[in-house]
Amino acid sequence: MVEVLKTALGPLGLGHPVINASGTFDLLEADEVLRADLMAEFPFAAYVPKTVTMEPRAGNDPPRLFETAAGLLNSIGLANRGIEAFIDEDLPRLAALPVPLIASIAGERTDDYGRCALLLDECDRVDAVELNISCPNVELGGMALGCDPYKTRQATEYARESTSRFLIVKLTPNVTDITSLARAAVEGGADCISVINTVHGMALDPLRLKPALGHVTGGLSGPAIKPVALRAIYMISREVDVPVIGMGGATTAQDVLEFLAAGASVVAIGTASFRDPLLAARLAGELRVLMEQRGFGSVRELIGHAHKE
Amino acid sequence: MGAPGRAEAAYSACRVIESRPVGAYRLVSFIAREMAAGARPGQFLMVRRSGPALDPLLPRPMSIHDVESDLVKVLIDPVGKGTLNLAAAGVGDQFNVLGPLGNGFNLEGDGPALLAGGGIGAAPLAYLARQLMDRGREVTCLLGFRSRAQAIAAELFRGVDVHVSTEDGSVGRQGLVSELLSGCIAGLGPGARQAELFACGPDAMLRAVSATALECGVRSQVSVDTHMACGVGACQGCVVETVQGYRRACSEGPVFAAADLKW
Ligand SMILES: Cc1cc2nc3c(=O)[nH]c(=O)nc-3n(C[C@H](O)[C@H](O)[C@H](O)COP(=O)(O)O)c2cc1C
Ligand code: FES
Repeated sequence: MVEVLKTALGPLGLGHPVINASGTFDLLEADEVLRADLMAEFPFAAYVPKTVTMEPRAGNDPPRLFETAAGLLNSIGLANRGIEAFIDEDLPRLAALPVPLIASIAGERTDDYGRCALLLDECDRVDAVELNISCPNVELGGMALGCDPYKTRQATEYARESTSRFLIVKLTPNVTDITSLARAAVEGGADCISVINTVHGMALDPLRLKPALGHVTGGLSGPAIKPVALRAIYMISREVDVPVIGMGGATTAQDVLEFLAAGASVVAIGTASFRDPLLAARLAGELRVLMEQRGFGSVRELIGHAHKE
Repeated sequence: MGAPGRAEAAYSACRVIESRPVGAYRLVSFIAREMAAGARPGQFLMVRRSGPALDPLLPRPMSIHDVESDLVKVLIDPVGKGTLNLAAAGVGDQFNVLGPLGNGFNLEGDGPALLAGGGIGAAPLAYLARQLMDRGREVTCLLGFRSRAQAIAAELFRGVDVHVSTEDGSVGRQGLVSELLSGCIAGLGPGARQAELFACGPDAMLRAVSATALECGVRSQVSVDTHMACGVGACQGCVVETVQGYRRACSEGPVFAAADLKW
């Protein structure tokens, strides 16, 4: 990758600043279906698999998806095969992946984050751990946990005690003051904040006029939420001293440029990959062109540009 | 079901070379050589109009209606913003297409094949009928539609033994396709036990036809229609409930043995 795009996230060296958002790109599944050799030519600078939990989860009742104006509502409910299957079956298949791997974990209680982080600490393939304390589609833990600064701090502390890996905490925008949660995570030992998870929302079936999702409410993603994400990135990067991973609606190289300028060190692409599975492979190159046009010689120079006098 | 996905799906920009109304539906053909070569009946494509417009945002799953040399054809029922947008495509427009995806129907048996389509669920049956007939299977195709405007799609099944029903009786027999099916199975006599049902349509129709088939000892494969985002098994968004738990319609379906579905 070209020199101007090279960057880092803590100890992780990255070829460019674009990674995938958890739950929206599955390398192992895509590699089985697509003709392209994704393992060799992985388009993202790091790989974030779907969030896993201690126990397998079946997920929520279907329908789980509904498209809204320039957005997507989902209520997947953290369907996953559990952390054991992830460690025993998925990680060995990812050995040859040429980029850093950021494992995403969630729990129902704060100490679940410690238990999951401890298991991952044994795995050489795992370069960093992201705590998903912000899924809006699970009742018990996730959401409620990520809305409470005390529990946010506690979950982060449990994970911090269990792993020396680079520790990322992913926050929900569905709160009154997102910066207080970012501060709580950093106080708990987070090395990095990632924002935003999906925005609480709902849709009605246009004909039946009943909830379109089986779970009734869901999380909104895609271009519709970009301004919400941009604000969260801007506010948090001004407030805390750790790097920020920005996500929420980024779809074009211009969006990536803006998220970096707002203070993100890395930008994650979620829903936009559904729209265009090869988007990631183009974004880095397009970003380089935009940076040249605007006179930015490095990603570092661009990060936080919007904050500068 | 069919052979599991073997790293065969391509993603490419495809030019529309024909777009014409077929009653209430629209038949759109585009050039997609690789996809045409690999497509099996019952597989689908994720299709989106090329361009930067953010609404509709995502591609829509479209059954492969038919394949002709390097052309792939889809039949569109313009019911929502995504399908309306696709149906509005004219000759020369471009689609972004990912596919072929999904398992497709299992064509391996050798008994009589009964095909049942409900509304736009007729779409994948044309290619299926041809491929089954090429394999020497006896094919009877039963198509149920709301009214005449939809039933015109029966003309897309040239050379196939087609029977049509409409809810309002405007074309063919008045009633539901499940009623056509009962009559058809009765006509097979003792041969019915070797028969196999292949169905595609709304859930209620699939439930009705597979229940009718089951009563007569006829096995069924049904293709389900769900909302999708990724199309490749990544997002867990398209699941249906089966006796083994939730299964993804895009990567583990869209064709399931009716006996496995919980509905
Ligand atoms: C279908 C779907 C599944 C998701 N699953 C997860 C998940 O398992 N873990 C997680 O941290 N975020 C999950 N997310 C949230 C995304 O990672 C991302 O934060 C959010 O979608 C905003 O980014 P986007 O607008 O680019 O999609 C999911 C989002 C979608 C649309
Ligand atoms: S549409 Fe994503 S898993 Fe099926």
